[in-house]
Amino acid sequence: MSHWSVEGVASHLDGFRLGPVDLALAPGQVVAVLGNSGAGKTTLLRTLAGFLPADAGRIVRDHTDLTDRPPEARRLGYVPQGLGLFPHRTVERNVSYPLEMRARLDARARAREMLDRFGLTELAHRYPARLSGGEAERVALARALAAEPELVLWDEPWQALDVEARHALGEVFEELREVARVPVVLVTHDPALAFSTADEFLVLRRGVPEFSGAPGELLARPIDPFTARFVGYENVYERAALVAPVAGPFAAWLAARTGPGGIAFARPFVHAAPATSGAWEGTVRAARPTPEGLAVAASVGGLSVALRLEPGADGRLPSRGDRVRFDVEEKSLRSLGTLDA
Amino acid sequence: MSGEGKAPPPRRRAHRGTPWLALHLVLSGSLLLLLLLPVYALFTYAPPSELLAAASNPVVTTAIGLTLYASGLTVLAAVVFAIPFGYLLARRRFPGRSVVESAVALPIAVPHLLVGLGLFLVLAIPGTPLYRFANAVGFPVYDTIWGVVLVMIVVSVPYTVLASQLSFQAVDARTVEAARSLGAGPVNAFLTVSFPLALRGIVTGLLLTWARAVSEIGGILILAYTVYPGGPYTGPVTSTISVLVYNIFQTGNLRDAAAVSSVFLLIAFALFLAVRLGERSGWVPWRRGELVP
Repeated sequence: MSHWSVEGVASHLDGFRLGPVDLALAPGQVVAVLGNSGAGKTTLLRTLAGFLPADAGRIVRDHTDLTDRPPEARRLGYVPQGLGLFPHRTVERNVSYPLEMRARLDARARAREMLDRFGLTELAHRYPARLSGGEAERVALARALAAEPELVLWDEPWQALDVEARHALGEVFEELREVARVPVVLVTHDPALAFSTADEFLVLRRGVPEFSGAPGELLARPIDPFTARFVGYENVYERAALVAPVAGPFAAWLAARTGPGGIAFARPFVHAAPATSGAWEGTVRAARPTPEGLAVAASVGGLSVALRLEPGADGRLPSRGDRVRFDVEEKSLRSLGTLDA
Repeated sequence: MSGEGKAPPPRRRAHRGTPWLALHLVLSGSLLLLLLLPVYALFTYAPPSELLAAASNPVVTTAIGLTLYASGLTVLAAVVFAIPFGYLLARRRFPGRSVVESAVALPIAVPHLLVGLGLFLVLAIPGTPLYRFANAVGFPVYDTIWGVVLVMIVVSVPYTVLASQLSFQAVDARTVEAARSLGAGPVNAFLTVSFPLALRGIVTGLLLTWARAVSEIGGILILAYTVYPGGPYTGPVTSTISVLVYNIFQTGNLRDAAAVSSVFLLIAFALFLAVRLGERSGWVPWRRGELVP
């Protein structure tokens, strides 16, 4: 069980500059690295892994400075994008690879144990080309954890998994986090995964951290349109979208309250139809059922607004073209910073 | 099944791709016929009895032996020098890389007489520094097996360099990074991941190198027209098989020329066939894990 600290680490790849990044990782802690494409998420992971040299700062594991150590000397479980399974080795020999490389005498036995733990025993002699997406993810995770790494770096897990496989893998992952107590840094585009696993979010924009902290904090105070959408706000308007040619009092009302980057708010409830109350009126463009009720997309003076209708509000579902009324509370508005600094 | 007697209408899907497939078959078939034409001519020109006689004639067997020996050394040189070269070109960026890549391919692109002439100028004219050096260290090249090997290396090893480069480039860098992060140093990552994954392409490159080496004549005509014993070659005075066929042809004896050629064709064909069959049977290691239809 080790503590890692990343102190002001900067690196570069071709013209792109990353950092300085600070991170503190306790045993079992999971940090989700978020950001647009090209924000530097994978660059950060590859710098932590030692594939890109750090131009500045230190990477420290329990008082040992690893900044200049090669990847093989950092005791990592690195799962690259696309998993990086060895196509010429069977599942078993993929999993035993880190043990062989560390000349562990119990390589075979330990590999078998990992296969068993991840439900891969029956696939031991298959080659990666014949695995399903979920099986391949499990093999990659088993391989990454086989040699008891001190840090797991995972680039885009759960990429191509169906709902069931995600659920099963999520459970395995949670258990490992609790039992093995290894810190994990994962890069993801998937809000559901980030919220369900991470203790901390690190949001990168153009290589620079713009948020680091608890997921709840980001939810309460999204920084910019990207993070607002990522954490689940469905009504996100960039500042430019609120001025002409879009007209109407609703856009003007929002424009008067927007931050430099825009404004966001959660789905307001739709008042029961026929609409009689509510400050704003819109026209229903689409409606679809969700576990939280009916999700309605409405058009309000040229702006598209996502609304929510509780089931059974009046027994009738709004349909395309219906008028709906809703309110947006001032306190639910989130003023956003700019996307392009 | 209910609804007997109401069979679904026959599917017509099977016919849809036919003209497209036919086009491929016609084009491929025409090319294959052209490729096989000289082979057919050689095998039918001389009767089988003469083929057998040629196969047991010591002049022919010595020339074949020399050719296989020299081409074997060439393949060995390709393994030692060309694979690391290809790896370097695939994985490292350095100034002047495009120039180096073009320089490697150059011997393939120029007439091989030029290669022979160039080597002759620096290595076979008494008094030049390289001539003196080669003789001093026991590698005289003019009319020796070393001359044959040298020409073969220059004209054929680039195939292995290029094939290795392409094969290493095709290895997903992320599998190599995964290996490094899992505890493999650079050498181990090369030996356990990059090399095995590139091996199939490298073997194809080595086969091309071998094929180009045994078929070489232009450069050899200049540097080692006749091969005298010396170095690793201790047999009688001989020449490579290509030069031998050329000599027989010059005398006007077409039947003998065809018979000797056919013997060598059989050997070359057997080798290629063995490698391909080995691949298909899964006996060779470099296709493990591939999805083979």
